Amino acid sequence: MSQIMIWTLLFFPMFGAVLSYLTGRTNKIARNYVVMGTALLEAIGAGVLLWLEIGSVGSISTGVENVLGLGLHFTTDGFRVFYLLLACLLWFACSVFSGEYMGHERNRNRYYFFWLVTLSAVTGVLLSADLFTTFVFFEVMSFTSFVWVIQAEKEESIQAGKLYLGIGVISGLVMLMGILLDTYGGTGELLTSALICVGFAAKAGLFLLHVWLPKAHTVAPAPASAILSGILTKMGIFGILVVTGSKMLHNEVWGLSLLIIGIATMFTGAFLALFSVNFKRTLACSSVSQMGFIITGISMYTLLHENELAINGSLLHMMNHSLIKLVLFLTAGVIFMKTESLDLNEIRGFGKNKPFLHMAFLVGAYSIAGIPLGSGYVSKTLIHESMVEYMHEFGESVLLPYVKTAEVLFLITGGMTLAYMLKLYIAVFWEDGEAKKAPCCKMSSLLCVLIPAVILFVFGILPNRTMDLIAEFARLEETTVVESHHWPVQYFAWTNLKGAVISISIGLVLYFGLIRGLLMKKEGDRRVYINRWPVWFDLEKNLYQPVLLGVLPFIGGLFCRILDKTTDFFALILRKNVFKPKKKHRPVVVGNEFTYAVGSFLDGVVQFLNVTVLRKRPIRKSYVEQLAIRSMEADATMRLVGRGMSFGLMLFGIGLVFTLLYLLF
Amino acid sequence: MNQWMINVQVVLPVLFPMVCGLIVLCLNKKLSAGIRNAFVLFSLLAELLLTVFSFGAKGEVVLLWNLTKDIPVAFRVDEMTMLFSGLLSLVWLLVGIFSFEYMKHEDEAEHEAEHTKSLSGTVFYGCYLFVIGVMQGIFMAENLVTFYLFYEFMTLLSVPFVLHTMTKEAIYAAKKYLFYSIAGASFAVFGFAFLYGAAGTLSFVPGGIFTEGLPVGKETVLLLSAFFMIIGFGTKAGMFPMHGWLPSAHPVAPAPASAVLSGIITKTGVLGIIRVVFYLFGEKNLTGTWVQTAFLLLTLTTVFMGSMLAYKEQVLKKRLAYSTVSQVSYVLFGIALMHPVALMGALLHVVCHSVMKCTLFLNAGAIIYKTGRTKVTELHGIGKEMPVTMWTFAIAGLGMVGIPPFCGFISKWYLCQGALESGLTLYNWLGPVILLVSALLTAGYLIAVVIAAFFPGEGYDYQRLEKKEANGKMLLPMILFAACVVILGIMPQLVSGLLNETLISTLFQNLQ
Repeated sequence: MSQIMIWTLLFFPMFGAVLSYLTGRTNKIARNYVVMGTALLEAIGAGVLLWLEIGSVGSISTGVENVLGLGLHFTTDGFRVFYLLLACLLWFACSVFSGEYMGHERNRNRYYFFWLVTLSAVTGVLLSADLFTTFVFFEVMSFTSFVWVIQAEKEESIQAGKLYLGIGVISGLVMLMGILLDTYGGTGELLTSALICVGFAAKAGLFLLHVWLPKAHTVAPAPASAILSGILTKMGIFGILVVTGSKMLHNEVWGLSLLIIGIATMFTGAFLALFSVNFKRTLACSSVSQMGFIITGISMYTLLHENELAINGSLLHMMNHSLIKLVLFLTAGVIFMKTESLDLNEIRGFGKNKPFLHMAFLVGAYSIAGIPLGSGYVSKTLIHESMVEYMHEFGESVLLPYVKTAEVLFLITGGMTLAYMLKLYIAVFWEDGEAKKAPCCKMSSLLCVLIPAVILFVFGILPNRTMDLIAEFARLEETTVVESHHWPVQYFAWTNLKGAVISISIGLVLYFGLIRGLLMKKEGDRRVYINRWPVWFDLEKNLYQPVLLGVLPFIGGLFCRILDKTTDFFALILRKNVFKPKKKHRPVVVGNEFTYAVGSFLDGVVQFLNVTVLRKRPIRKSYVEQLAIRSMEADATMRLVGRGMSFGLMLFGIGLVFTLLYLLF
Repeated sequence: MNQWMINVQVVLPVLFPMVCGLIVLCLNKKLSAGIRNAFVLFSLLAELLLTVFSFGAKGEVVLLWNLTKDIPVAFRVDEMTMLFSGLLSLVWLLVGIFSFEYMKHEDEAEHEAEHTKSLSGTVFYGCYLFVIGVMQGIFMAENLVTFYLFYEFMTLLSVPFVLHTMTKEAIYAAKKYLFYSIAGASFAVFGFAFLYGAAGTLSFVPGGIFTEGLPVGKETVLLLSAFFMIIGFGTKAGMFPMHGWLPSAHPVAPAPASAVLSGIITKTGVLGIIRVVFYLFGEKNLTGTWVQTAFLLLTLTTVFMGSMLAYKEQVLKKRLAYSTVSQVSYVLFGIALMHPVALMGALLHVVCHSVMKCTLFLNAGAIIYKTGRTKVTELHGIGKEMPVTMWTFAIAGLGMVGIPPFCGFISKWYLCQGALESGLTLYNWLGPVILLVSALLTAGYLIAVVIAAFFPGEGYDYQRLEKKEANGKMLLPMILFAACVVILGIMPQLVSGLLNETLISTLFQNLQ
């Protein structure tokens, strides 16, 4: 019975997708309700699954053999079910929001169709019990979500979409190689795990593979950006967590690599966000940065023995980030709907006189910035604590300097987060600007922003009663967790607040020093935000694109052209030599009347002789032709001689003239 | 069942379409196109039934006549026959239905520029029916001589497909096709003269005719002949270095002809190599020899080269032709690995590639028929004009790249699995890597087309959008093929089930 539940959850959104497409051809409003209804029913289904998981049924496993060769297998556990519910709720909220946001867009049927198919794919990824199943649904997810990115069909969206798909396909293939090696190869675990994680890392937007994320999230419709950032990136994290938990636990090389990648991602993302002057782009860069925080947590989970704090921190930060980005991206959506712009200079002041929007954004902003009483503070504290724990427990470890540096960078990045969120907040809600007069959105859309903000607010002020419980429940089956004696954490004790205070001070310094100082300029009677990011510094445009689309295909193409033409070349040589068609006969030369007459006579004689005397050795040449040739040759010679004579005479004449002149003077 | 009944059962699928083809050719010009098409459709349907009917006589040898005392011309239906014949009849029928509409504009069309006139549709359909009979003969052949006989016959009869438009280019391509085919065939003949000298028989026996290993003292010459036969049959399969005819012949042929050339006729070469490797020499005699190494190297080179050139090509049909070069070599790579799972992947890919490539060529044909566009760069926004056509294109394209749940994925998975489990030293990982690089290039040359087709961008003028969707006769085969891509992807056991335990144990004798 409960297994049917899983299958229903997997295929129901696909069914909804087809239904929405069909209704959408005739009735747009009914289509919107179909989409919302599908997402809502899916969320209720996920809720039932959660209830079953908490209740007596516990974990459910199911599968089908032979499909796709290896069969698909599904299972549930705390994390999977919880995240599925969260994903479905986000989907529902964004579906409702899409109703207003997408109101005047083209190709909405296409958008909604792929919107719901992706929900199916995400369900599949989350419930998958083995890497093969994960891979299948992961690939489907990459391709269907691509349609969201390219939806607007502007030049930038097409570029971003191609980049998204390109990175998705390449990393997917690397991942496939990893899974194949893992299943049949018998090569080292480290290599296979790394290969598998390339695919997940690309979706999570980790360092060096993050280039697609700021571009794609910026151009996608706001509700889609919210899901891309809130859920799809987490599918990458989910994969990394599964691989780490089941294969790489306590592997130091793995832990260190994750730490370095995590810190690099975290820092790069925050750095890019500081410079950005586009509201949505800042949020997208912030997503990159937050993925770095989560990965840092996972690296601590790998390295630590008592790893409960680290894993809880990572899980809670995933959840927080999903909810926060829902609030923030939908706010961006509201702004874009009403002002058609996302440039900070053009949208400043939009938030004035909009108290609900203001409150929702404020909750999201301070949560992500890690200010105490925000939910983000809780998860960041947990990750930070796990680093401190490592420094205490593994005082002798060779990795200690890395972790120490990481901790410092962690706090600095926390400060940067505050700085860029402050930049957005102050620009939109406090500064004056023309956008002030723009109206707010519909009530239904506003609720989509407000309700998650309220949830975040509650989480933030009552962490021990809410988030701790979630963390303990949402355990991933593949992860082995050793209980920590620090759990549960007193979040509001001074030792924990200390980190936040340091971060906040750094953040304020950065905001007032860097942003208000360097990144703003006086223009006329007011200060404007300027983009000081060097245009030439773009990994995608200046490294990936030229290499992948220029250099490599050129070399490969040249090499292959040579191979391709080799045989043809041989054939050509054969044609020119062995198979050369015989040369045609020369046209018969005719000559003049005299030669023709003589020749004909001689030919007659020869023919007569051939028949009579010379039977054994007949003469085979035609005298007509021979004589004609001779006469032509004679003509040619005569002409030459004539020319030679006249030339000689001319020279003689000139010589004579010169002699005469000499004699005269 | 008496012998006579069996004879009829096996010989009918070969003979019946030939007779029908002759009828079509003889009644030249006197038939109206409608009646002719109805007759062709009826013949193809009957052929499908006869093919399935012939499977009942599995394992029975049907002797037709003796060429000399000990070289018989004989048929036998076995597992490979069932796979290839079944595929053949199905593809031929669906492509046939498509061609009824498509050939309307090809039937004796005038080419203004060159003052030439296409061959008439009657010639096309005559050959179309004749060739299917001949190919059934190839697939049912019981020994190499029979195989070769029908193989050459097919080469000659398929020339009118290439020649059809009678333009200068077409004549050149047809010449090239003949040149390559005959060169390839002569390689093969060279091989089997030695083989016959050493073994005294050319019958196809699962597991090979050398049960005791290759005769002592003749190993070198036999391996050499195996290599030449692989190169020879590899010509039809478009394997480097004899692939050159494919990219010339496919683009000039009418779309349905390109579809069958690429989907089925290349597969005769594949079957030739399967017969040589597994039914004549025996897998155990070739594993680990230089022949296997050379074969692997050639197939991998072809896989990469084909994809790379397809990526660089701008004419859609030529791009698909290069893609065929690459994809058929996936199959050959699977054979070259000489491993049960790889062979299963190879056979699966035979079917998958056929349905996918037929879909793509039919799409290309429908686009040419409706809009006259041949270049990839002209296909901007075509997804809005011909949505169903381009949807099937997208599905087949994703299958070609190997995206689950479409069918190319699982065949590639088996190929990679076979490579990794084969125990070869270098090729166990190099093979999968090259397959995946090629998959990436495939995405580059097919998915890029889909993106341009469906997402024409801001500048696209929706007001001037005209629906140019192909009509039912063209859509039906495309949709059915695309459905096959999905169904085979989800249920590969439909094909891979043919390669059962017993067959594997006879084909791979040194695994025991």
